[in-house]
Amino acid sequence: MTFRKPCAALLALCLFFVLALPAQAAAPGAGKKIRAAFVLLETINDQGWTTAHHDGIEYMKKQLGDQVEVSYTENVHSPADAERVIRNYARQGFDVIFGTTFTYMEAMYKVAGEFPQVTFMHCSGFKTRPNMGTYMVRVEQGEYLAGYLAGLMGYKNVGTVATQPIPEVVRGIDAFTLGLLRGLKESKTPYDADKVNTVVWLKSWRDAVNETTLAEVLIGRKHDLIRQMADTSDSSKAACMKGVAAIGYGTDAAKYGAACALTSTTFQWGPLYTDIVRKIMGGVWKNDQMFVGFEGDGVGLSPFGKAVPKAVRAKVLSLKAKMGKGDDMSFAGPIVDQAGAVRVKQGEKAPDKELLSMRWFVRGVSGKLPE
Amino acid sequence: MSADVFGGLDLQNLASLGQIAVKSSTAVLLAAYGEIVAERAGVLNLGLEGMLLLGALAGFAAGAATGDPLLALGAAACAGALAALLHAFFAVTLGVNQVLSGLALSLLGAGLTGVLGRDLLGAPGLVLGSLPIAALADLPVLGQALFNQPLLTYLALLLAPVLSWAFASTRLGLVVRACGENASAAYASGVPVRLVRFGCTCFGGALAGLGGAFLSLSYTPGWKEGLSAGQGWIAIAMVIFATWRPLRALCGGLLFGALTAAQFSFQTQGAELVPVWGLRAAPYLLTIAVLTLVQASARLRRYSGPPANLGRFFHPEG
Repeated sequence: MTFRKPCAALLALCLFFVLALPAQAAAPGAGKKIRAAFVLLETINDQGWTTAHHDGIEYMKKQLGDQVEVSYTENVHSPADAERVIRNYARQGFDVIFGTTFTYMEAMYKVAGEFPQVTFMHCSGFKTRPNMGTYMVRVEQGEYLAGYLAGLMGYKNVGTVATQPIPEVVRGIDAFTLGLLRGLKESKTPYDADKVNTVVWLKSWRDAVNETTLAEVLIGRKHDLIRQMADTSDSSKAACMKGVAAIGYGTDAAKYGAACALTSTTFQWGPLYTDIVRKIMGGVWKNDQMFVGFEGDGVGLSPFGKAVPKAVRAKVLSLKAKMGKGDDMSFAGPIVDQAGAVRVKQGEKAPDKELLSMRWFVRGVSGKLPE
Repeated sequence: MSADVFGGLDLQNLASLGQIAVKSSTAVLLAAYGEIVAERAGVLNLGLEGMLLLGALAGFAAGAATGDPLLALGAAACAGALAALLHAFFAVTLGVNQVLSGLALSLLGAGLTGVLGRDLLGAPGLVLGSLPIAALADLPVLGQALFNQPLLTYLALLLAPVLSWAFASTRLGLVVRACGENASAAYASGVPVRLVRFGCTCFGGALAGLGGAFLSLSYTPGWKEGLSAGQGWIAIAMVIFATWRPLRALCGGLLFGALTAAQFSFQTQGAELVPVWGLRAAPYLLTIAVLTLVQASARLRRYSGPPANLGRFFHPEG
């Protein structure tokens, strides 16, 4: 039977074509408008990082109407793939290209050098060119408030399902712990100053099975609140199923089935995207390193869960209002690290440079930073 | 002995770790049993990952639509079995390369569920929680680990001895083994080899589908793209690690489940049992070790080697 092998080869070939093509959504261009392209890490309904970015894109489209035309490519995982996708968009004459994850930094830096007339914006990185800027939200502000909320409610033995040990995550954990300590002091809850937040690493951004396993192990170890940090809300859901409190991350965990979540810290890219595109339209764009917190609606807290008492809500919201006015106390000194060394002095704040490269845990975190 | 040696483990911790270890290995176990049945009949199916995903999606979709656990599990088993039927058609009827066809099935499962599942991402659905078995669940440690689990976990625990017995002591088991060891001889003695291989492949697919449903209905309720995250590949490694024996697969699956849980547990105490990369590679490294060991000794090869006709096409006319 000679047709057997070609038959299988054909099947495999078809499959590769079906699977290898990332989904593309493009609208036909008309008139003079800004053409914006987005390179996305996962699918737009990944419930986490990419969903937040897609929500931001939708927000921007609503704000700018037909002044902007948007294209995006999903599931761009590797730097090599990113380079190809970014260069394609640049060749097609897009005005601005957004790279929405740290992984794309080198690829974007390279392509930006080849297309000086195109604007490039890279999320969460630190490399810039005359035509390439960066943007990021101040995750630490939301984290600080979430920790504060937990502390006010008396949670003093938090278990954190941590993802990858990069500065963004580390400063999130630190800020959460600092807020937690403040809340515990204000609520006069006795606590172990060396161990209010236990951190265990998944070494992955999303891994539903291990998120659940880890959350259950933490609950078995009698941790009283599960801090989700992965894209998917499975650690929060596992906590809910065991009757333990949880706090979500990135998008509203309650929306994805974790009804017990006290709140979720959310990333809101919409105002940033609108701002950037408006600046390009007006010809006033600069290669800034944009870093936006509550004052620019870059971060948020999802609606409080039923379990959060009114007094606690009021306290958290009043702190949030302060941050919204630019009073960022998330890394205000004095701050000591795990070894007891003073990292930020009384009356000072950790500078952005320190925040963007943070590699140490504050006192109160139990757990190690992997090399 | 000081409690610190075990990272501060007490009896209650041990019970909870045991429960997690058993529960977290359920999907791998069900998929591995299915693969053992298919391979013992001579059909290599590397499509486990795809069948897990198809089962997970079908089970979740049916559960969300009907709210009926039986329909949900039935849909998952059917989805897995149908996918396996496709593989069986290529492998058993057409005789294409089984490695290729199986890999294609894994890719198909990943792609198809990615497309079909888009609207179900993040949607609420049916959740199959733990079903404690009355008095037994109160036993110290063992009660929590073995008798306070979701339905499919009980199935995973029970199937190992049942399959083991069936292979060793029933005529059907003998027939299946004959198809995998010497298909021509089996055919000569009147066994419908291709029919048996079809049946075993589909049975394997149904079990993998149930494994997927365990993930989307019990362990991490809800549909997510790529939900199985490599569990299908671990199951394939487990089949070889277990040298095609269901009871050994049970032990292997529980061992890896326990390792993962223990690793996390140690980390909560600020210690690391094994480096994370080591743990991730463990199923594959240990499988290679077992393979090497078995290959090194003729005696071991005879008793623990793969079925002699594994992956080989059989046609009645030769």
